[in-house]
Amino acid sequence: MRVRNMATPSKEVNIVICGVGGQGVVLMSELLGHAAVQDGLKILGSEVLGMAQRGGPVFSNIRIGSDVYAPLTPEGKGDLMVAVEPSEALRNITFLSKSSLVVLNTRKVIPYTVSSGESGYPSLEVIMARLNQAAKKVMVLDAAHLAEEAGHLQSTNVVMLGALFGTRQMPIQTETINRTIAERFSPKVADVNIRAFGLGYEAIRKTISCEECFKEGAMN
Amino acid sequence: MKEVSKLTLASDAPGRSLFMLGNEAIARGAIEAGVQVVAAYPGTPSSEINEALIGTVKDLGFYVEWLVNEKVAFEVAMGASMCGKRTMAMMKHVGVNVALDPLMSAAYMGAVGGLVLVDADDPGQWSSQTEQDNRYIAELGYIPVLEPSSPQEAKDMTADAFHLSEEFGHIFMVRTVTRISHARGDVRLGPINKENREGVFTRDHRFVCIPVWSRKNRILMLERFARVKEAADGLPYNQLRLVDGAKIGIIACGISHGYTLEALRWLELEDKVSLLKVGTPHPLPEKLVRQLLSSVPEVLVIEELEPFVENHVKVIAQEQGINVKIHGKDLVPIRLELSTRKASEAIAKLAGVRLPIDFAGLDKLSEEIAPLLPVRPPTLCAGCPHRASFYALNSATRKVKRDLGERIYTGDIGCYALGAYPPLNADDTAVCMGSGFGTANGIARAVKNPVIGHLGDSTFFHSGIAPMVNAVFNNTNITMLVLDNSATAMTGFQPHSGTGSTAMGAASPQLKPEDVARACGVKFAEVVDPFDVQKTIDTMQRAIRFEGPAVVITRRLCEIVEQRERRKRGEAVVPYGIDREECNDCLACIKLLGCPAIVLEEGKVVIEEAQCAGCGVCAWICPKDAIKKDAGEEYGNAV
Repeated sequence: MRVRNMATPSKEVNIVICGVGGQGVVLMSELLGHAAVQDGLKILGSEVLGMAQRGGPVFSNIRIGSDVYAPLTPEGKGDLMVAVEPSEALRNITFLSKSSLVVLNTRKVIPYTVSSGESGYPSLEVIMARLNQAAKKVMVLDAAHLAEEAGHLQSTNVVMLGALFGTRQMPIQTETINRTIAERFSPKVADVNIRAFGLGYEAIRKTISCEECFKEGAMN
Repeated sequence: MKEVSKLTLASDAPGRSLFMLGNEAIARGAIEAGVQVVAAYPGTPSSEINEALIGTVKDLGFYVEWLVNEKVAFEVAMGASMCGKRTMAMMKHVGVNVALDPLMSAAYMGAVGGLVLVDADDPGQWSSQTEQDNRYIAELGYIPVLEPSSPQEAKDMTADAFHLSEEFGHIFMVRTVTRISHARGDVRLGPINKENREGVFTRDHRFVCIPVWSRKNRILMLERFARVKEAADGLPYNQLRLVDGAKIGIIACGISHGYTLEALRWLELEDKVSLLKVGTPHPLPEKLVRQLLSSVPEVLVIEELEPFVENHVKVIAQEQGINVKIHGKDLVPIRLELSTRKASEAIAKLAGVRLPIDFAGLDKLSEEIAPLLPVRPPTLCAGCPHRASFYALNSATRKVKRDLGERIYTGDIGCYALGAYPPLNADDTAVCMGSGFGTANGIARAVKNPVIGHLGDSTFFHSGIAPMVNAVFNNTNITMLVLDNSATAMTGFQPHSGTGSTAMGAASPQLKPEDVARACGVKFAEVVDPFDVQKTIDTMQRAIRFEGPAVVITRRLCEIVEQRERRKRGEAVVPYGIDREECNDCLACIKLLGCPAIVLEEGKVVIEEAQCAGCGVCAWICPKDAIKKDAGEEYGNAV
C-alpha cells in the first residue's frame, strides 16, 4: 500500500454516482464519505431522496478537496462517474468533460414505460458512443454478474465502488474503504461486500492493463 | 483509527470530525445545545433529523416524539418551552402551513426555554407540492431565521439557535433546504451541554392569547424583534469582505454562498468583488448591508427562490438614500435550486466577463440526449398493496360507470401519489395532507359523478378525520378509502397512532381507522385485504353505490416492512412465473398493473424473479391464467 500524505489535497475531485432507486447509490456515497473522513480529507456532497426514490433516477455526488464550498458538482466538472445503470450515465452526461473517467455497469434496469412501449431505451452502443464523445475514457463491467459471483446481487453497488477505486484516481486509500466496508456491515454481509469490491477493482485493473499492453504492442 | 469509526452523533468529543448528513448535523446541533423535548411529523426533506435524534435517545436521555401532525408537534415544543425546557420542532415547509396557527402566536408569547423551529424548504420541488419560501412565513410571524450554507453551519446554527432563543426570550427558526438537509460532509463536533433542566410552569398572562393580553404581547414582541435586529450584525454567520475599488458587491444567502464562492473562483473575480455572506436573512444585518451598498455602484443578491433578501436590501437602500443599482431576480432564476453554474452566469453577465465552460454546448448536448433517455417515473414497489387497491378501484368504478357516471378520484400525499402515473391513473386531484377527503367533500357538492377520495393510514390520523366527520355532519355522498399499509412508508416507516409503538419504542394503543370512522357516525365502514382482489372490487362497488359517506379500509402491510418481517421469520418469497404455453403476450398484466417486476424482453412478458414479491395480483388478473406461483425456471423466468 502506498503511503499517502494525509493532508487534504487542494485539487478537488468530484465523483458523480448515478443509478436507479433501490440500487444502493446513497450507501455508496455514505461509505465514501466515512472513508474520506478517516483519511483526513475534506468532503462535501449531496443526494436527493424522497419522491425521487422508488425506481426513479437517483443521483449522488461526493466532492473531495479543501476548496469545495457547494454540495453540488458543477456541470462539466465531474472527474469520475460511477454509473450503476447504463442509461443513467447518459442522463447525467453534462457533468462530464474530456478529462472525466466513467465506470459503467452494463446491466440495464428497464422501467415500466419501456415495457409498455411509451418510451424507448438506448442500445449500449449508443450509450457508449455518446459517453466516449463526452469523456476521456469509459470502462465497462457486468457488475451484477460479479456481485452474484461475490455472493449476492445486492452487492452490485459495492462492485461499482471497487471499480471506482480500480481507476486509481481516488484520493481515499483502498485500505480505508475496505475497512469502512468491513465495519459497516454484519460479518456475513461484509465478507460478500469485500469480495464484491475486489472483483470490481480487478475488473477495471484488467481493462486498463490490457489496453496498456495493447498500446505498447501497437507502438512496437 | 478504530476509535474514529466509533464516533457517533451522541459522542461528547469536541474537536473531532464526523461525516454526516445535513439533517444529522441539525440533530447534532440540538444535542450540543442540550435539547430536552423534540417533536416532529415526518416529511421530506426533514425526516432524518428526528430519526437521528431517536438513535441517540438511549445514550442521552432526552424526550422525543413522532406526532400526529405538524400543528400538534409545534404545540408540544411550545408547551415544553413554556416550562423552561429546551425544545425543538421539525417539519417540511408545507408542514409549517399546518402548524401556522400556533406558530403565529408563539412569537407573541415569547420563549421561556429555548424554542427552535426547524423548517425544511424544498427548492426544486424534489418531493413537494409547492416550492414555497418560508422566510416569508418567518417574516409574517416576527420569527428570526438562521439559514445555514453547509452541514457544519447547520450544526453550529442549530446549537446557537437555542442560546439565542433564550437570550432574547423569542422563538428562532433554522431554515434548511433539501440541498443542505441531504448534503453530506465532515462536521467538527462541539461539546455537549448536559444540563438537564427541571420543567416548571409559571402562570403568566402572556400565555393566554385573548385580545386584552395579546395586544400587550404584540408590543413586547416588536421590542424583542428590534433587539434581535440590533444584534444581527454581530452574529458570526454574517460576514462582509470588502475589496478596495470593487465595482460589484454580492450578497449571498444560505446555500447560495457556496455556489457564489466557487463561481467567483471560476471567473477569477475573487479579488475584484466585495462579498456579504448572509446567515440571517430575517432580520438582515443592516449595518453590514449599508456598508456594502455604500461601497459599490452595483449590488447583486444571489439567493434561491423568492427575492426575500433582495427586497429587504432595496428597502434599506431607499431608507438610507444610497444610490446603488440592486440586481437579483433579473439575473438569478426564481425557480428551482441554484448551482455554481447559475451563480456564475448571473455574475458573468453583470461583470461582463466570459464563462469558463461552454454551457450552451452542454445545453445542446442535453437536448440531443433527452429523446434517447428512458422515462423513469418513480413507481410503487413490486408487491405494493396500493397497486392492488388501485387496480380494484379502477375495476369497481368501471362497473358503476353506466349507472353513476365517470368517477372522480381525489388523491393525497404519500406513496400512493405514485399511483397518479399510468397505468393506474389513480389521482384526478392531489393537493395536500388530508385533502383526498376534504376536496371530495367539495367536488360532491358541485357535480353528480361518484367521488372517491383516498389517503393512507398516517395521513388519515394527520388530517383525514376532520373531513370525514364533515362528510358525516353534512351527509356528503362520497367514498373514502384508507389505504392502510400500517406504515408512514414514503418518509421511512416512522411509527404513528395506528402502528402500536412510539418514537421512544414504548407500546401504545393501536388506533384503527374503522373504529374511528364508526365512532364518528360513518354507517358504511368495511375492512378488506387488497390482495383478495375480487372481494375488494365488490366492497368498493357497494361503498360507491351506498347513499351517504362510506369508508373502505384496504389493509395490508407495506411490502418493504413485510420483506423485513419475512427475513426475520426466515421465510423466502415464492415468486410467480409465466407459463409460456399459456401466455399469448396480451400484456394485460403490464398495461393494467405497471408492476416493476413484470417486464417485456424481446416482445415476451417476463417476471423478474429477484424483484417479484409473490403478491399474486398479476396472476389474478391474467385472462389466460398463464401466471403461476413457484413456476421457477421451468417457465423461463429471468433472474
